[in-house]
Amino acid sequence: MGNKLSKKFWLLIVALLTAMVLAACGGDSEEGSSDADGGGDGGTTDDGATKITAWAWDPNFNIAALNLANESYNGETEIELEIIENAQDDIVQKLNTGLSSGTMKGMPNIVLIEDQRAQSFLQSYPDAFYPIGDYFNTEDFAEYKIPPTSLDGKQYGLPFDTGATGFFYRTDYLEEAGYTHDDLVDITWAQFVDIAKDVKEKTGHPMLALDPNDLGILRVMMQTTGTWYTTEDGTINLVDNEPLKVALQHYKELMDNDLVKLVSDWSQYLAAFNSGDVASVPAGNWIAPSIEAEESQKGLWAVAPTPRLDMEGAANASNQGGSSWYVLNIDGKEAAAEFLGNTFGSNSDFYQSLLTDVGAIGTYKPASEGEAYQYENEYFGGQQVIYEISQWMEEIPQVDYGMNTYGIEDILSAEIQQYLSGKSLEDVLADAQAQAEAQFK
Amino acid sequence: MSQVSGSANNTKRQSTFFTRFKKNYIGWIFILLSVLGIGLFYFYPMVQAFLLSLKSGMGANLEYVGFDNYARLFGDPTFITSLTNTFIYLLVQVPVMIILALFFSVLLNDPKLKFRGFFRTAIFLPAVTSLVAYAVIFKYLFGNDGLVNELLLGMNLIDTPLNWLSDPFLAKITIIIAITWRWTGYNMIFYLSALQNVDKSMYEAARIDGASSIQQFFFITIPMLKPIILFTSIVSTIGTLQLFDEVMNITNGGPGNSTLSISMYIYNLSFEYTPDFGYAATVSYVIVILVVILSFIQFRVAGDRD
Repeated sequence: MGNKLSKKFWLLIVALLTAMVLAACGGDSEEGSSDADGGGDGGTTDDGATKITAWAWDPNFNIAALNLANESYNGETEIELEIIENAQDDIVQKLNTGLSSGTMKGMPNIVLIEDQRAQSFLQSYPDAFYPIGDYFNTEDFAEYKIPPTSLDGKQYGLPFDTGATGFFYRTDYLEEAGYTHDDLVDITWAQFVDIAKDVKEKTGHPMLALDPNDLGILRVMMQTTGTWYTTEDGTINLVDNEPLKVALQHYKELMDNDLVKLVSDWSQYLAAFNSGDVASVPAGNWIAPSIEAEESQKGLWAVAPTPRLDMEGAANASNQGGSSWYVLNIDGKEAAAEFLGNTFGSNSDFYQSLLTDVGAIGTYKPASEGEAYQYENEYFGGQQVIYEISQWMEEIPQVDYGMNTYGIEDILSAEIQQYLSGKSLEDVLADAQAQAEAQFK
Repeated sequence: MSQVSGSANNTKRQSTFFTRFKKNYIGWIFILLSVLGIGLFYFYPMVQAFLLSLKSGMGANLEYVGFDNYARLFGDPTFITSLTNTFIYLLVQVPVMIILALFFSVLLNDPKLKFRGFFRTAIFLPAVTSLVAYAVIFKYLFGNDGLVNELLLGMNLIDTPLNWLSDPFLAKITIIIAITWRWTGYNMIFYLSALQNVDKSMYEAARIDGASSIQQFFFITIPMLKPIILFTSIVSTIGTLQLFDEVMNITNGGPGNSTLSISMYIYNLSFEYTPDFGYAATVSYVIVILVVILSFIQFRVAGDRD
């Protein structure tokens, strides 16, 4: 009898438990306001201004740019901008968890997203972003910025900074190896490798520093021909990707001949050129402030256009990094879009102060004729670095980064390890292709 | 309690119910709270995660695909790499750590040892450091121009700095060294406390019978510690299967996925690549299944029959 009774009691507990659980899932979506976690829902403040929030990373760069934009905003709608700083990884996580949960509570009005990630967000969360193509003229911006920021003909992102690359080099080392600036302008990557060999032989310095986990240099090489790991319709394009093949051959040649200083993180990468160890830094223009940070090397640096792959239609310009502004599809979206359009979207003077105050080079083409862009940089021997970069920016071949850049790169970097230790290039690419197709169907 | 027949049955039953309940109701309330809590915060999410693992798609566009995700696991080379790596960590690191912890605990249990408390604290201290902080320090120690290379170079053991973090084999070694440093002291504490419960007279008797200290260790200490060894190896196994912070911060899974752990792959699937939360949930269920299987095997191999 005691048994029976306890059974009944357990039944009661289970029933209670179920009721609680059901109540809990049914209830919590309605209750509670999310004002606490800083998410502006486009509310109106007391003085009638629309309150919008923005998420971005890097206080010296993106946040500073937003603050500057806030000061120079002169649109009709009164706007009160609240900027919330987050690390980029955190923004990616918060967006993913927030948007996939289906609730827009706590989401910002404006968010900064890296170009190579943008498609993955736009396609994963179809209605989460607000098309802002009506608020600015896409033709004013560098063309290569448009495919990553748009989807199905709708413009979702307002292009921000450029990752236009340059071939930054030490004039003293290159001179010692017998090269002048003119010898380095508009060269191919094959020539770059030859120069690297000369530099190593005559000065003993490795040509560049690379982190084996970061295939950025391959992307830079590939984009000079306008190709990527995937084609425009998303097909994985590794095995018959001629530019990638050539890029990998150059990569291996650099590694095999000991022309590369291997580093394992960012601070080591910076130290490699600040210490005077490596002779050049082929990277996005955002590296310039880090080069300039080493006062003692003033006047010893110059920049040449990015080498190109020796192929039909390749340009001496490429891109590494860069991000754009997006507006989320929540209350206050019109005000947010108006804010972006009024500042980043059309204000040439704003871009001049952006350059002088923040050091950010935008992708807004009319701005490059402004005065700040003509600045002759003493650190680079009086070169008009910014102006040159903005000219290269307009030549960067367009590429659709697709959705799987980072996923494919993880597969590829494993295969590249094997390529460096002797596996044939055909096998490497064929295996990588098969793996990528299995993973991203 | 005897059976009572007729109408008295019901009233009797009820009254026993109430008396029992009255007598124990505070106890029942205590249980109720934790049962509800566990149900709500453990089992409900587990069921939801299982349902999620039956879906697939980009971000918010999830749809039911049945067991496709589970089939996909077998053809996913990155998953297989992460699984292999995790098992390499498991098979190398857990035994090494358990043996080291046993060794230290027996050493530090010697009542004649001076500064025992200091040594115990020193070895236990890594276990209270933050995972991320120590991982970052290890990253610098094992960097190309880090302390470890400087030491090895200074002692003329190597000619050129070893690429600890960018060589697939050495990177795994680095991770294993890091976890071992972090967790050995933690396990040692369990053994030390268990050793306090071993009756000293057994050692005395063994010594009188002429057993050497090595024999004492293998025939008294180890059998007496068996339940604790089982417990620590299960906990360490589960911990290793969930390895994330070290890999994320020291090598970021590289070079070329050669240190990728299952947990880090789950992270990559959710936040690094185009998010597929359904598939990520499937991979996390693999960890659940592995934990169950491995714990079961360990119980079978080492556990007492009763």
